[in-house]
Amino acid sequence: MSVFASPRSAAVTLHTQRYVVRTLGFMAVYCLLNMAAIFGVFDAWIGTPTGWVLALAVALPIAGQAWALLRLIVDSDEFLRVLWAKRVILSAGVVMVVCTAWGFGESYANAPHLNALLIFPLFWAISAVVWPFVRSSR
Amino acid sequence: MKNRLRVLRAEAGWTQAQLAERLAVSRQAVNALEVEKHDPSLDLAYRISVVFGRPVEDIFENPHRPSAGG
Repeated sequence: MSVFASPRSAAVTLHTQRYVVRTLGFMAVYCLLNMAAIFGVFDAWIGTPTGWVLALAVALPIAGQAWALLRLIVDSDEFLRVLWAKRVILSAGVVMVVCTAWGFGESYANAPHLNALLIFPLFWAISAVVWPFVRSSR
Repeated sequence: MKNRLRVLRAEAGWTQAQLAERLAVSRQAVNALEVEKHDPSLDLAYRISVVFGRPVEDIFENPHRPSAGG
């Protein structure tokens, strides 16, 4: 084990930069596909079984985003690894609780129907609130 | 975990970023160690020990060791 072999601080910056670039790339695809759909590019598909291709295509960048987040966690040092994992688990937990409560609210309390596609932006909105408070690896 | 990391770093005249570079971790990790928001792995504790040229227990207080009076 060499203490001085790896310029880790530079690597941390590099990992963060890669994460940002990957996120921007996946989100650009996500936005472009949705904008194309909104402007009618896929109108012939919508309402047909082929529409599932479009639905899956829009969901794929979300899988990519999850992969980018996993790579960031794997590539980080031991402190940041735990911090990122705690943040993601906490945010996902809050999203699951909110969505479950809302779903049952639709059944039991006549809450208005919410689209399941809102889960992804909801996850990031909750992350923005939760993450700054997670500062310890314990 | 209580430790003397900040004192030892100051004695060495290093910034958190410089120590992080020597330990091959992020500056945030060094800060978290100093403010006791992260308990280091055995591997990291050994690296810190090598960087400062001191035994691990000179740097980190062993919470499991019975006190002299205990």
